[in-house]
Amino acid sequence: MSLPEPESVSQASEADGSRGPSSSRRNFLQLAAGAAAGTIITQYSTEIGVALEQATDGDLEVVWLQGQACTGCTISVLQGQYPTLEEVLSEFRLEVTFHPTIMPEAGEVAIDAMSDSPDVLIVEGSIPVDIPEAATVGQTPDGESKPLVDWVQELAPESEYVLAVGNCASFGGWPAAENKRNLYDLGANVTGARGLQFEQRTERGVLGPDFTSGAGLPVINLAGCPVHPDYVLLTIATVLNGHVPELDAYNRPKPFYEPLVHDNCPLRGYFDRGEFAETPGDEGCLIKIGCAGPYTRCDDQTRLWNDGTSVCLNVGSPCIGCMEPGFWDRFAPMGEEVERQSLFGSITAEQAGWAGVAAAGVGIGAHAVRKATGYGSFDGDEDAEAAAEASPESSAEPTDGDTED
Amino acid sequence: MVEVTIDPTTRIEGHHGTTLEVEDGQVVEANSQMKMFRGAEIITIGRTPRDAAQITGMVCGVCFLCHRLCSSKAAEDAAMNAGAFDGPPRNAVLLRDAAEGIFYLWNHAIHLFALVGPDYSDAVADTGFDRLDPLEGEGYQGALENQRQLMKALTEFGGRAPHPVGYIPGGLATNPDASTIEQVKSRVREVSEWLGPTEAVPEVLENVQNGEFDPDLGEGLHDVVSILVGAAELGAADIGAGPNRYYSNGIFEDPETEELFLPRGVYRDGEVELLSKAEIVEGITEDTEYSWYTDESGGPPTEAQPPEPDLDKDEAYSWGKAPRFDGQSMEVGPLARLVIADLDPFDLRDTLGGGATESNTLNRLIARAQETLVVRDQVLEWLDAIDPADPFMADFPDEFTGEGVGLFEPSRGALSHYVDVEAGTIERYQIITPTLWNIGPRDGDGQPSILEEAVVGDPVEDVEHPLGVMRTIRSFDPCLACAVHVRSPDADYETVIEPAQPGLDGGVGSCPIGDAPVSDHE
Repeated sequence: MSLPEPESVSQASEADGSRGPSSSRRNFLQLAAGAAAGTIITQYSTEIGVALEQATDGDLEVVWLQGQACTGCTISVLQGQYPTLEEVLSEFRLEVTFHPTIMPEAGEVAIDAMSDSPDVLIVEGSIPVDIPEAATVGQTPDGESKPLVDWVQELAPESEYVLAVGNCASFGGWPAAENKRNLYDLGANVTGARGLQFEQRTERGVLGPDFTSGAGLPVINLAGCPVHPDYVLLTIATVLNGHVPELDAYNRPKPFYEPLVHDNCPLRGYFDRGEFAETPGDEGCLIKIGCAGPYTRCDDQTRLWNDGTSVCLNVGSPCIGCMEPGFWDRFAPMGEEVERQSLFGSITAEQAGWAGVAAAGVGIGAHAVRKATGYGSFDGDEDAEAAAEASPESSAEPTDGDTED
Repeated sequence: MVEVTIDPTTRIEGHHGTTLEVEDGQVVEANSQMKMFRGAEIITIGRTPRDAAQITGMVCGVCFLCHRLCSSKAAEDAAMNAGAFDGPPRNAVLLRDAAEGIFYLWNHAIHLFALVGPDYSDAVADTGFDRLDPLEGEGYQGALENQRQLMKALTEFGGRAPHPVGYIPGGLATNPDASTIEQVKSRVREVSEWLGPTEAVPEVLENVQNGEFDPDLGEGLHDVVSILVGAAELGAADIGAGPNRYYSNGIFEDPETEELFLPRGVYRDGEVELLSKAEIVEGITEDTEYSWYTDESGGPPTEAQPPEPDLDKDEAYSWGKAPRFDGQSMEVGPLARLVIADLDPFDLRDTLGGGATESNTLNRLIARAQETLVVRDQVLEWLDAIDPADPFMADFPDEFTGEGVGLFEPSRGALSHYVDVEAGTIERYQIITPTLWNIGPRDGDGQPSILEEAVVGDPVEDVEHPLGVMRTIRSFDPCLACAVHVRSPDADYETVIEPAQPGLDGGVGSCPIGDAPVSDHE
């Protein structure tokens, strides 16, 4: 398999000249990346509003579909504060022509209201392909329940932008977690739950690896279980403003999904001192009780959740890796130390922590420490990083369940 | 005989469908169809109890907390039965009470304001219900603002919401200090003030009926009462009658006495029967006659195998199973809890709803409003009783062998998780949700589910507008992805109904309960 190169995505899109940044508009994703913790949306809420209004000269049609969803991403987006969802809906005139949870209409009226060529198609929840009947909405002309896989394949090519919201729509999420006992011959992935362009860390989504929406972009993956509300609203603001978000290897906007949780962890001091919690509720770094922070990329350590209230590691909970493809089995069992993928062989938490202390003592740079311990990314050394991250699946054809590490 | 299809049902959580057969202006049969399958129980097997709480906590992003806590209780029960655990500490019990209480406030507000509210908007426009216009209404926006406060309160302990991660088997992952607890209390108090004083209910009721609005009596209270009055005027008490059989697992445990603030039991034949946990567990079975699962997937949840898909069953129409207590269908939810607790604050169900124990569409809404008032002060008391100096967590090893049952009572009704652990690994897992009790399929005896029974007899003079059916479905606050079908067995007529559409054209619409044409209220 070959993962799309992030650079090629943005270069190709800018090269055709149709989506180049306008000097009068600001790339809010870049703003978000450079801002201090938790302040960006507050600080730029007016500009975001103006940008959306400029971009929405007339009504924009948004269709929000739910596959094998739990509605958690919808609920999460409802917690967005700046701007709030209701402001987006009314002031910015985003026209949600279909959303199962909030739309007033029902039945065929609801289906009829759905745009067949939306400006923005948002999908929440995974899409079952082995048992298409496992998620349906509305009916076919024959009166049969219509599978989500059909809806997605019809609507996505007609959409200007396609956003996968949450880990399920991005990568399959927990419905794609392994059927460990292979019960009932259903296969490792019980219903064949997939994301739009990925299944876990492989390009086996329902739309295929070559899919691009009307704007020439792949599906923009806003991973997370659930998605962070800012990610949704800022990404919409960015693309409607004519900017091309820079995407990582899993098509996640880099400003949100580049920071390593481990690097910004509030418990990082414990790690560096080699102080580890042995059971939940203990003081210390949580790596030994299953923290996925060294392998997980998102900025919510600094952005925080629920209007800056808290974040997982602030309440003693190990990072569960919910922003990552392979989330569940890559980090399961959750209470145990995640198996390390080091360029230099296996390493224990104690060694890693003490390496940090030693490094500080003799003035070794953080990059060298991370390199030595196999944690995280190294600026300017992306090949090594890519090799470390990609080697498990690049060496073999992916299998159902994707439990290679 | 006429068959009509509504798909999707909106303003609920999830995919669901109902087929209605209509004859002589009445619903004569209904099939309630759940339209999504993910295999959570299958995926949970072979993992640790800790992972089960994590996975099942994410089964639903609307009722996230309850699955997490119920699964934790099941794992703790199994560990206790194995002699590996003494039980969660006092602080954890209190904190779970408070957290789920906050969740009640959140869920009831979201349901009343955002999900069912628009169903009744036109009827109460004169009483101020335009405050609940789904886009512009001050009341609607106020409710959304206040629900954020409640989610933040849950986030203080959980790290984020939805899908908080701090609430775990054994207790809480962190040791919140006094100031964090105070922060939670202040968020709850703020929402409580927005709601208004409980004792003002009679005055607010009178105001609403007279078309007056006094913000000093509580904006939230005014809006909630407006919904109830509007629904009453539309005749919601006359539709959606279930069998008047109720079941509750009980909730809000006193850490000292282990007594439940809302008791555990059933109500049938006009009598409350308070039951033990063992009696509840003993009485429950599941039936798969009309489910897309094999026959072997039914039976007592303490013994049955995880649901095995079987798409070739001719008669099957749902991804849900049919849970029964002593072989009987049982209504669950706020109304069930309050009937079993013998609570009817301000006699609202007795006077507005046609009787305190009557199962109908209006009483389900009234009970939700009543429970909001009953629980909110308790939440603050539970938080007050927490001693930050004491532990919040009692860990136990995964490596035990034992069976456990978690009985819980989320806002939507009775929830049970069943777990068998073998040397630290889950060998069997079963979940029975409130929505299965209320809107699952019929069973092998032909006994319909509560919803299927509730809509039969509903007047449908115009098959294109069986609006009462939609209101009845939403009154259960179903939690799945939904659609509703009405179809003709002889296939000589088929149409797709166009149900209530308040909010179209940017304003409150009209949705009378029978088949009267939709009036142009605006």
